[in-house]
Formats: sequence, structure tokens, C-alpha cells
Amino acid sequence: MNIKRVILLSAVTFLLSVYSFAEGTKEEAGKEGGKINLEFWNYWQGKNAEVLKALITEYEKQKPNVTINNVYIGWGELLPKLQTASAGGKMPDIAAVDLVWMPKLVRSKTLVKLDPFIEKSGVNMKDFYPETLRVSRYESAYYSLPVSTNNLELFYNKDMFKKAGLDAEKPPVTWGELVSHARKLTIRDGSQSGMEVFTQPGEGLTWQAQVYIWQTGADFLNSSNSAPAFNSDGGEKAIGFLVDLIRKYKVAPLAKWGLFGQGKAAMVMDGSWMVGIWAESAPFNWGTARVPIPADGKPATNMGGEQIFIGKTTPKAEAAAWNFIRWLTGKDAQLKWDMETGFMPVRDSVAEDSTYKEWITKKEPRLLPFAVNQKYAHSRPPITNYPEVSDIFSKNVEKAFYGKVTVREALTSAANEIAPMLK
Amino acid sequence: MKKKEDILAATIYLLPSVIVFGLFNIFPVLYSGYLSFNRWDGLSRTGKFIGLQNYSNIIKSIEFWNSLGVTFYYTAGITFFGIAAGLFIALLLNRRFPGRTIFRTIYFIPVVTSTIAAAIVWKYLFDPGSGYINIFLRFFHIPGPDWLTSTTWAMPVLISLGVWKRLGFNIVIYLAGLQSISPEYYEVAEVDGAGPVTRFFRITLPLISPITAMLVIMSLIDSFLVFDQVFVMTNGGPLYSTDVIGLLLYRNAFRYFKLGYASSIGMIIFLVIFLITFLQRRFLSIGEQSSW
Repeated sequence: MNIKRVILLSAVTFLLSVYSFAEGTKEEAGKEGGKINLEFWNYWQGKNAEVLKALITEYEKQKPNVTINNVYIGWGELLPKLQTASAGGKMPDIAAVDLVWMPKLVRSKTLVKLDPFIEKSGVNMKDFYPETLRVSRYESAYYSLPVSTNNLELFYNKDMFKKAGLDAEKPPVTWGELVSHARKLTIRDGSQSGMEVFTQPGEGLTWQAQVYIWQTGADFLNSSNSAPAFNSDGGEKAIGFLVDLIRKYKVAPLAKWGLFGQGKAAMVMDGSWMVGIWAESAPFNWGTARVPIPADGKPATNMGGEQIFIGKTTPKAEAAAWNFIRWLTGKDAQLKWDMETGFMPVRDSVAEDSTYKEWITKKEPRLLPFAVNQKYAHSRPPITNYPEVSDIFSKNVEKAFYGKVTVREALTSAANEIAPMLK
Repeated sequence: MKKKEDILAATIYLLPSVIVFGLFNIFPVLYSGYLSFNRWDGLSRTGKFIGLQNYSNIIKSIEFWNSLGVTFYYTAGITFFGIAAGLFIALLLNRRFPGRTIFRTIYFIPVVTSTIAAAIVWKYLFDPGSGYINIFLRFFHIPGPDWLTSTTWAMPVLISLGVWKRLGFNIVIYLAGLQSISPEYYEVAEVDGAGPVTRFFRITLPLISPITAMLVIMSLIDSFLVFDQVFVMTNGGPLYSTDVIGLLLYRNAFRYFKLGYASSIGMIIFLVIFLITFLQRRFLSIGEQSSW
């Protein structure tokens, strides 16, 4: 009986102490006063993260009362985490996210409107490429700034070109040449394919396919984003071309993405960020070129990249966060950022800067096709349900890749499924 | 007086675990049930009540029926092969031979291995070009398929990983069951002239049937909720042939932000598992009674 009481009492004291301890830490956090701690969520890793950390250290030296806590969250987890943070009212001070997520995020009402800050600081918004700002705007206000961009161009394995008797300095320019090159580069025992196409479901397939659609002059959605536009002659031609690579010429296998990097495919369309990665890791010689276009088509590519925004917290933290993102998206930081990471410039003043131009031609000319084509880069439609639209498109196109349906059937079925979602 | 104090003490002792369990298990389940009647994007503060619309949309969706079929395929594969192989190996390990503890440990290692790590290794093993499986097959001049991008083979590969991962657990439980069978049964049966096959079917199998029932239920529930290895290895592809229901739920909740819709998928999964377990318990308990 007595022992029971002792245990009971200790249990109660324990619970109470846990409670008071929790209270105590909360108070302490508030007392810190002068120093501002900013939490910065992003998914940059490897070399990009190193460069970012160096920039943050540089910034912290300039502003000794600000500490920026750089938090890496994987690409797949960042959006769900932001979702929880937003619904729970615990937004990070700063986050850099995939531009595709912005239409969804701006509607959450937990992002800080940037217009007052932009006006006060006199940021010249015209210096940013207009396509990079398409997702930043919502109800004629800015909620984010572009911090990096990239696009898709052709990579080719020079060793394989030489072995196949092709001129390694003359990559294909048209779709026709792409096919004839790929046929010469394919080894029929399955060890080497001429071209790598993204064949598995998801956004990877969609955003690659969009490039070919835009090259024909067709569009993915109509200009007001209210109806699908890929179910057109141009769309059919583009997807038909990819299906031919896989099924008719058999130069692109139905395989997991990543063949080019493993030295199992001679050509691939991939992003500018791969230049830095393969420059260090690829055990073969490779070059880049602008994506081949159809005979009567026009250059086009797809734009990726990150947008940086401020989460609603306290006015003091928001102001400090603005100072940082303004600095990070400013010309000086951007120049370092782009030259160290190989991201494409988001600012005209960076692209036109003599240091940048000299760097790209001397240090990494393989980035030139990307830089040249950046002005032909389209941005994906800024609609909230884009991820679902993209999945439906890829699901149907994949069926055509696997030969289960014709190209026309695939696009019609995708359009029928997508149309009601855009109303 | 004593009784009152006992109740008070019990309440206080139980409180921490009740709070934790309630907060992280009961509350989310109830809240998810509530969400399933709403349309909510997860970003705004509140959703919109839409009654049973989520459920009717699910029942009309081709994707859902595909996922349900795919999940049943996976579940059936895991349960059948996991239990058959588990019993077989348990029987082998139940004899006396040197180093059998080492074998037991080896078979149990996959159970405590991280699923993600195992899935990544599996992906390398089944790589069509440089994976060991196809290198091995090529040695015998058999052209191996493109395992994970083939609509026929992707699911069997996923099942093989699931079975490999579950096997150790099944073996351990079966071993415990086998050791609880009194050796006298076998001795008597042997005196009566029963061979090893008869002994297995007449003594071992009936006596461990409660364990089999438990393992079947656990395997059904676990594999019905499969997510991580599919997410890592195929992400539902090719052509949605491995698009298990967990993946469908995840996609709707965290890619499309349709939290109400995803919650109603969760509720349907709950109902399906509940139904299977209920039917099975009924069926098995009747079976036990009549066979004795």
C-alpha cells in the first residue's frame, strides 16, 4: 500500500516535471533577443549544397546578427513537409522549392507577399527572365523570386560516336539525324542503345515529352490553361517520334532512367545540372548540343529550377529573411552561384556579364548549348493540379511506349481525362 | 476505499501510454475518417464537407480497382510463398545439427534490415545489364528479362523481396510452434507405423494450424499495406502494374494534395483488412472445431 503511494506520487511528479520542462524551453527560446535565427529549407545536395553553405557563411559575415540554418530535405519530402508546416502554422523562414510546386504553395496563404519589400528595396524585376517569374505571381502579386534555373539539352557519348565511325564533333541537329545516328550507335545485343528516352511513369516522362511537343509548334495546354492542347497534330507527331525511337527503330529501350550515365546509351536529353555531375564522375568523354529539332520545327526546351520564398512568421524574421533572399537572388551572389553550380542564370545581367561569358566559354563550354537555348525555354503551365495532370499524361503516353495503344488513342484518352480537371 | 485507490493508480499508470496511443493512433484514424467526407487540399486551414462524394469517386475510378487487384496479387504472393517457405525451412531447422543457431540468425537478418536499403540492393541485383541475376542467367545462356520495367516480371521481383524480408519472422514463429509439439505424439505415431509424410500431415500440420492462421492474418495485413519497397523499386510502373494501394493513397495525399480523397482510400483499406480478418477468423475457428 505504501509502496503504491510512493510510485503514484513519483509518477505524478514525473509528469509535472515533464510539463514544466517543456514550458521552460519555450520561454528560453523567446529570450534570445538580438540574434536572429533563420531556418532555410531546400533540397540542394552535393556540390550545390557546398556552394550554398559557402554563400551563407559569406552572408553571415556581412550580417553578424543573423544566423541561417540550412536544412536539407529530400526532393520527395520537401513538399509534404511544407504542407504540414503550412497547415500547422509553423512555416520555415525561407524555403527554395521546385518551381512546379509554386501554384499550389501560393494559394496556401502562408507565404509572405513580396511586393512591399520589392518596392522598398528597389529590386529591378525586369532583370529576371520573364518565364522564370511566371510561377512567382499570383493575383498580380509576387510571392517568390527565381533563384536558379536549368533546361534540357542533348548529351552524347563521344567515345561511342568514334567507335561507331561518327564525327564526335558533329552531334545530330534534326530529328532525322538523331534517328540515323541512334541506329548506328545501337548495338543489338542490348549492351548499348543509341538514345535514352524517359519511359517510366511520372513527371520525368511528361517534362521530356513536352520539349518535343513544343518543338513542333504545338503546346501542352492552351494559352489560358483551360484545355489540353497536346491532342493535336503536333502533339501526335512528337509522341509518335518517341514511340518510333522505341518501337520502330528500336534504338531506345523501355528501361529505368540512367542508362547514359552508366555508359549504356549513346545519347540522352537531360538537364544542365548533369554537366557538373558528369564532368566529375562520367568515365567517358562526352559533349552537349542543342536538342535536335524536327525539319520544320523550332528550338524549344523545358525550364526547371527553384523559387525562393518567405514563410509567414514574425515581421522581424520576415524582414531578415527578405534581406537574405534579396542578396541571394542579387547579381553578385547569383554570379558565384551560377559559375560554381552550373545553374543557368535567372538574370539577364548575369548572362550578359563578361566574367560569366568568359567563364562559360573557357571553363565549361559544354554549358553553352543550355545558355543559348535558355531563351527558348518554356515553363510548365502554372496550374495547381499540374502534378496530377502530368501523371495522367505520362500514364497514357507510357501505354503508347509499351505498344498497348496507338499514339492518337493515348493522347485522346489523356485529353479526355484531363479536360474536366481544367474547368 | 481500496478499490477506489486502485482505479486511480491504474488510471495514472495507464495515462502516459493512453495519451501516446490516443494521440498518434486513435486520433489520426478518427480524423482521417472525418477527412474522408471532406475535400481538403492540406494547405488551407479548412476543408469543405462533401458527404460521400470521395467514396463514389473512388468506386468509379479505374485506378482504384487496378490498385486493389495489384495489391491482392502482391498479398497473395507474399502470404503463400512466405508461409510455405517459412514452414519448410522451419522444419529443416528444427532438427539437431551443428551450427543451426547460426542458420536461424542468418534467416532472421532480413527481418531487421531496412526495407529501403534492401530495395535498393534488389534494384541493383535485378538490373537488366549489370545485375547479378542476369549475369548468372547469361552464364547459362538464358537471356534475362528487363525485370523491373516488364509488366510481367516487376511484380514477382517485388514479391521475392517481400518474401525474403518476411521469411525469418515466419521461421522463428513456426520454430517456436514446432518445439511446443510434444515428441510423444511422434513416438506413438512411429510405433503405429506412420511414415514421415503421414506424421507431417496428421500431427505437425494440424497442431500448428493456429500459428499458421496467425501468420496468414499478419502477412495479409502487412503486405496489404506495402509501400516503401514499391516506392523505391518501381514507383508503381511499368504501366501501373505494381501500383499498390499504398502508393495510390500516397500519390493522392502528397502529390495531388487530395487529402479527403486519400483518407477515403485509407478507410476502404481499413474495411478490406477488417473484412478479411473477420472472415478468416470465423472460417478458421469453425474449421478447428469440426476437425477435432
